[in-house]
Amino acid sequence: MFRKIFILIISFLMVLFVSCKEKRGVVTFAVGGAPNEIEFWETLVKEFTRQTGIKVNILRQPTDTDQRRQGLVISLKAKKADPDVFLMDVAWIAQFSASEWLEPLDDYIKKEKINLDAFFNKVVNLVDRYKGKVIALPVYIDAGVLYYRKDLLRKYGYSEPPETWGELVNCALKIQKSMRKTNPNFYGFLWQGAQYEGLVCNWLEFAASNGGGIIFKDGKIGLNLPSNIEALQFMYDLIHTYKISPPNTFTEMKEEEVRMSFQKGDALFERNWPYAWALHQSEDSYIKGKVDIAPLPHFASGKSVSTLGGWHIGISKYSDAKSKAIKFLKFVISYGTQKKLALKLGWNPGRKDVYTDQEVLKKMPHLAKLKDVFENALPRPNLPYYTQISEVLQHYINAALAGKLTPEDALSQAEKEAQDVIERYERK
Amino acid sequence: MGYRTFSELKESYAFILPLIIFILTFILLPVLGTFINSFFRDISFLQRKFIMFENYKQLFNDSGFWEAIRFTILFIVVSVPLEIILGLIFALILNQAIPFRGFLRACVLLPWAIPSAISGRLWELIYNYNYGLANFLCIKLGISTGPINWLGSSLGAFFGVVIADVWKTTPFVTIILLAGLSAIPMDLHLQAKVDGANFLQRFYKVTMPLLKPVLIVALLFRTIDALRIFDLVYVLTHGGPGGVTTSLSLYSYKYFLAGDFGYGSAVSVMLFVIAFTLSLIYIKLGRFAELGT
Repeated sequence: MFRKIFILIISFLMVLFVSCKEKRGVVTFAVGGAPNEIEFWETLVKEFTRQTGIKVNILRQPTDTDQRRQGLVISLKAKKADPDVFLMDVAWIAQFSASEWLEPLDDYIKKEKINLDAFFNKVVNLVDRYKGKVIALPVYIDAGVLYYRKDLLRKYGYSEPPETWGELVNCALKIQKSMRKTNPNFYGFLWQGAQYEGLVCNWLEFAASNGGGIIFKDGKIGLNLPSNIEALQFMYDLIHTYKISPPNTFTEMKEEEVRMSFQKGDALFERNWPYAWALHQSEDSYIKGKVDIAPLPHFASGKSVSTLGGWHIGISKYSDAKSKAIKFLKFVISYGTQKKLALKLGWNPGRKDVYTDQEVLKKMPHLAKLKDVFENALPRPNLPYYTQISEVLQHYINAALAGKLTPEDALSQAEKEAQDVIERYERK
Repeated sequence: MGYRTFSELKESYAFILPLIIFILTFILLPVLGTFINSFFRDISFLQRKFIMFENYKQLFNDSGFWEAIRFTILFIVVSVPLEIILGLIFALILNQAIPFRGFLRACVLLPWAIPSAISGRLWELIYNYNYGLANFLCIKLGISTGPINWLGSSLGAFFGVVIADVWKTTPFVTIILLAGLSAIPMDLHLQAKVDGANFLQRFYKVTMPLLKPVLIVALLFRTIDALRIFDLVYVLTHGGPGGVTTSLSLYSYKYFLAGDFGYGSAVSVMLFVIAFTLSLIYIKLGRFAELGT
């Protein structure tokens, strides 16, 4: 009896181990996203295999950014040979590179003759380099933009979208008041204020367009600055004083909530990422043809700033198929693939040269405007412990928006806690 | 409990061996690993270093940690009694010979059958500011004039989570208590009735004492489960607004995600210590040792 059970357990464990053994020599590509995005990658992979004979397995990840990151952190921390190549959000590249999970690409770039000038220089230099070495390359780029209802602006006598936040408030107040008569759910301006990474992106845009932001000086972080306080107060006022942003801004408003509300015709202005464009223009969209895109407004004394987002491709240091993985990486960032990415998914290519492609511009004329925005987009601090700083910021900015703390208290406490984070992680 | 032969003893161990192996590999090892890890500076982008109690020292000065403890404990204190009381009421009703009893029992179980992540999403939609059911009802019934931002205040978010959790886990308590109730022999009730005991007397003198061990089990399960609440807050509030609904497990998860495994482990160890202490108290209360005899 004992022996029988013992044998059963051993054979069970053996099956477990054998099935865990990774296939060598096959490139595993971890990617997540909406079903249509995965579908796109699947056809792309097939084409790549046809061209090169290299087999690529897609490791399907969820849509949620945090969960995609979690999956990668677990594999990399365990030094697993798979996945070989994966997409990373711009906000966690620094953590991955400082953990030395990413294979430096310089030698491969030379060998495969990849031209780095084809990409946005500032993006590659600020985000994709770690200790001087290139460790990733942009697959697509994001930056915050202002969507506006051009039909409504025209109707109420505005020829141009607002350039300053003050203009935006005045314009929104006027149109909102009039629109409320027929649509009680109408709001002037929608943006992302829920407690998550998107809030930091939004706050950074408000603050930096007032000359503020996250300032580093002599190893000290500066958050509690007059410019930042003014910007945060303004965000609070949008919800509670002017009431042109809905009260659920700081609880529910993430990208999709904002997009859907705007797309239903319930708002005049929307701060969102460029992905919303294609959806706003889709057949079943109420605002199809009524919407246009502009750089974000700024404070009277500042200039327009957009937070840089987007996904980059990198190769695992523990990969068992590096030379094949680099071929796939080269394929993903090639002109042809990047153009397809724009045409099929409506994404903004990581390559600069696609933005002047006639075929692309014909289908996506707004890309011409976006090129300048991307060129000057502001990256979040490129620190391996950025997530912890972001957690602190999310917490306190959200608390200020909820009215639990004054902007000044919120920022001074955030500064103190962020400094603690820095001291903890800078200690060698 | 005497074993007649040595081979019989061996056989009984053989039967529980798979379970022991399972517990060792999937429960004891990870717990031990987390324990050891919590004494290290285990940050993915820094050199791994033994730092003794440094993580714990920092933990005690970490306001976010105390806020998470406060939320978690308040959550247990409010939600578990509610679930037990409601569960007991449902169980008592469903134990009676009422019409459609089988159907009703199945109905009560429904919320429990739905994964927390999905019920979290469901409640998120109910609380939604623009098109949520809660606001629709409040306005229709004249309770409020305009929509309410349910998850926008500390209190609202707290009770938002509590209500969603009570809705989801009361069925679990109901089922456990129902099992306990049906194990109470009918003759005891009849006998008490003959002796002239009224409903309340029968409930306190017959039902409650016999139900107590089962009640303790339900209480234990619910407390430990509530202690490690994660999925519901992750989906419903993501810890907001301003961090007031961040539970301990959500707090440690955030550190794991950011690559600070040592600190995250320290938070998890604290969670383990609290859970373990509570279990010991309950086991003492329920006098489990006497149950076996």
